[in-house]
Amino acid sequence: MSVYARGSNKGRPGNNAAAPPGASPGVVAPRGFSAQLRGASLWDLVQMECLARSHLSVQVVGEGGVGYLYFDRGHIVHATTPQLAGEAAALEILAWTNGSFQTCDRPWPEQVTIGTSHEGLILQAAQIQDESGASNLVAFPARGGPTAGDEGFEELELTEIEEEGAGDMRGTKMDELAPPPSAGTNGGRGDTGGDFAVVMRLGPSGAITTNRGGTEALAETVAYAQRLLQLAGELLGFEEFSAVECGFVAGRCIIFSEGEGEMVALRPRPEANLQALRERLGL
Amino acid sequence: MIPAEATALAEGVRASLATLKDVNGIAGSFVCTQSGRLVAREIPALFEDAVLAEAGSRLLRVGETFAAGGDELEVAVVRYGEHRIYLKSIAGGMLCIVVTGPVNMPALRMAANLVGRRIAAAVARAQAELPPAPAEPAPRASAGHPTATAPAPGHEAPPGMRRFRGRTVE
Repeated sequence: MSVYARGSNKGRPGNNAAAPPGASPGVVAPRGFSAQLRGASLWDLVQMECLARSHLSVQVVGEGGVGYLYFDRGHIVHATTPQLAGEAAALEILAWTNGSFQTCDRPWPEQVTIGTSHEGLILQAAQIQDESGASNLVAFPARGGPTAGDEGFEELELTEIEEEGAGDMRGTKMDELAPPPSAGTNGGRGDTGGDFAVVMRLGPSGAITTNRGGTEALAETVAYAQRLLQLAGELLGFEEFSAVECGFVAGRCIIFSEGEGEMVALRPRPEANLQALRERLGL
Repeated sequence: MIPAEATALAEGVRASLATLKDVNGIAGSFVCTQSGRLVAREIPALFEDAVLAEAGSRLLRVGETFAAGGDELEVAVVRYGEHRIYLKSIAGGMLCIVVTGPVNMPALRMAANLVGRRIAAAVARAQAELPPAPAEPAPRASAGHPTATAPAPGHEAPPGMRRFRGRTVE
């Protein structure tokens, strides 16, 4: 399976009039790039837009219908689906496994409805994916060229990939990385399931902002260890500390930075498969 | 331990560390005792002895921090952008391996296990017999660390290295 992508660095929203819908390759100078990728996913595209700090709206057509994501300066600030809006809509869209992804010209929302970072949303979507038991690896079939109906600028078609063993964070169980999106703090899966016995999030000041299974002592350990690692990295002239995986005589611990000075600490269960998380964190 | 013995011990450890570079992506390595003393190094000269000792003592303290909560640290992988440090606890100290860019992690783990096993006795002896590192390590010169082995000249900074203790490195 592969990815077909067309894009232009001139084609951001607001410039649609300049698009040449249906333009034939070789007749009109191509605008942007065509590419075939393998193993890309909607989540990768979301992260790409956030990394680029794009200010744009994107139409996602998936098995659940049509949804819209609004990106602004590295965040998903709003999302809508036919039934939902805000974070719930974003989670629904991120759980879709195939469809299309293209920029669109939509009225900008009057207010920000999503406060969670895109990483946090993806982690929650991973949980949803995990619960559904379906692979969310996606790929984009090669196409001969743009069709008459294309709007023109950036378009990525997603089709579910069925390759066995392909690596992606969605391939791993990410249970309990975040509270269940549709349940209360203590609702949903409870404390007995999932790959992580402890999921704890610390704010920039070290205060525990969310916690499942962790203790005050663990928070102190995490906060101090993170500071020591940060200092060691600074001494050696490295970039900012981003993540650590510790292997103990009994058990493991993963700590990674997220957002504005926040830290997340995870205590995986012995049987947990962490390969995809390691890849995501660069460990 | 007389100075000549200390030097020989450090040289032996350094020779073991050099074998780690057989694994692509390993930029270098160093070993510190639990008391924060740099025993040996096999890493570009960009990293000064005092800095390695200072960083090493903090990395050792990470292990102590977890130990205080009942978790005995065996290994750790720390990510800093394009760089990673692989830590392996050994008797009397810690082996710190600096990785730049992609690396074959299983190969790294195996190499670290073998080297750790090989140097463990020497590091334990260094911890037991050598005086601890100075409380306030100097930011520069390595003269105060007789057991630290100077790297071969001509070593360059790992790719992507741009800052060193707040200074820009060309």
